[in-house]
Amino acid sequence: MIWIADQLVSEGPGGVYGERIIQGYRLWSPRRSKLSALYHLGKGIELESHHRVLYLGAANGTTVSHVADYVEVVYAVEPAPRPMQDLMVVARRRKNIIPLMADARKPERYIPLVEHVDIIYQDVAQPDQAEILAANVRFLASGGVMVFMLKPRSIDVTSTPAEVAVSVQKSLSNRGIRTDECIWLSPYYPDHAALICRQD
Amino acid sequence: MHFMKSNEGKYQVLLVKSYWFCDREGGSCHPLPHDKRILADRIEQLEGDKTAEIPVWEYAVQCGFVKNRSEYLNILHTIALYLAGVRLEEASKVDHPELILMVRMLDQIDSAINLLSERSVEWYRALNPEFSRKSEILQGRKLRDLMRDGSDDALREILDEIDQLAERRSSLAKKVSAKASEVLPNCSALSGGLVAARLAAEAGGIRDLALMPGSAIQVLGARNALFCHLSNASPPPKHGLVYQYRGVHGSRKERRGKVARVLAAKLAIAARIDYYRGEPDPIFIAKAQETILNARRSP
Repeated sequence: MIWIADQLVSEGPGGVYGERIIQGYRLWSPRRSKLSALYHLGKGIELESHHRVLYLGAANGTTVSHVADYVEVVYAVEPAPRPMQDLMVVARRRKNIIPLMADARKPERYIPLVEHVDIIYQDVAQPDQAEILAANVRFLASGGVMVFMLKPRSIDVTSTPAEVAVSVQKSLSNRGIRTDECIWLSPYYPDHAALICRQD
Repeated sequence: MHFMKSNEGKYQVLLVKSYWFCDREGGSCHPLPHDKRILADRIEQLEGDKTAEIPVWEYAVQCGFVKNRSEYLNILHTIALYLAGVRLEEASKVDHPELILMVRMLDQIDSAINLLSERSVEWYRALNPEFSRKSEILQGRKLRDLMRDGSDDALREILDEIDQLAERRSSLAKKVSAKASEVLPNCSALSGGLVAARLAAEAGGIRDLALMPGSAIQVLGARNALFCHLSNASPPPKHGLVYQYRGVHGSRKERRGKVARVLAAKLAIAARIDYYRGEPDPIFIAKAQETILNARRSP
């Protein structure tokens, strides 16, 4: 991955969302993207040019565009029409983004198009986050990794974020998903965690 | 999987595996043509098929559908963009997002008019210290007409603008009502177009409204009261947005809860007819209206 003076950048056509350009590279700010925050904390999975990625919760395509700069292909799943309009604009300029308008809860809607991938990245902020990841494990190639962005506040506001993280890891492991690492994203995103998971 | 009759007349199980780019069957393989519509139809068909499998791009090359991986990804990209466009269009056809956006605009204009009116009253008071709203309980247009006397030019111009905005507001309200009768014909027949549109906006869309139980529709728009009730011992809300329906706020106080409940139950059915059928059902409407009327009357 490319760093310029402690700043994470990516290489690709700029002007996707008004990002700054440094020496011809697109600045990938840790304040705009949880995945960038994870890399700035010195963790996360190095993205490589042969990687195939399934991206759940693609939203407006901000983070997707940076991931696409690094990897071979990104399958970007987003159910809502409004963000999908923006995502399609991004995908028209980046041929390695495959936009899929579908609900990540119902992977049968995109099974016919998505191949086995090396990385599943999920950022959906839904109460049933863990179930959604479990439903998509089938796409993971053997040896693949899952990066799971956990927002405890959208799962349960009455328990502390740390308690929620523990219970989510338990519910993942009941579904055959092992959590190798849990990284809190402060100071960039308070009360958000990234879980690095693998299949048991 | 298909059952095919073999030459000997016996039934055989032939394993045909279908992908978005080809059919594989035993040793042979039939690629599909590079045609957006044919491929899109095939994908739609595979989505409903529980036995559909995760595609393997190498098969597309073996089959002669493409020459290499980069061509595979290229065609996949084109077809995915095309499908996403089709789905976007479908979503806007059934969900009519413009209705919800019109309602939100209407509410925003309302609050803008209120804010500007409050400000101009304060301004008018500074110019006319003896003025008090206590003596003259006037509102809206009448209040603005009264304030034109004794205002300076600057304030008068603002009052004109507020009048203009109020006119826009009422013409938009009519349009919302008309749009609602078009896309929510059954709900609009029961509660009036504006209330129906507001309910859809509060629910998050026509589909969301159609999936709601009547009890949720009854308290839509009374979120604070509802959560207060759920976390404390405060009484549950009787009505949210449905209060704006004449039959609810025009009923005697002790009967409003009942009317709201009956109306909401009928609205839940109406919303489903609107979403899934999309046309008015006169028999349902007549029966529902009668039930609601009875709820207002009966002891």
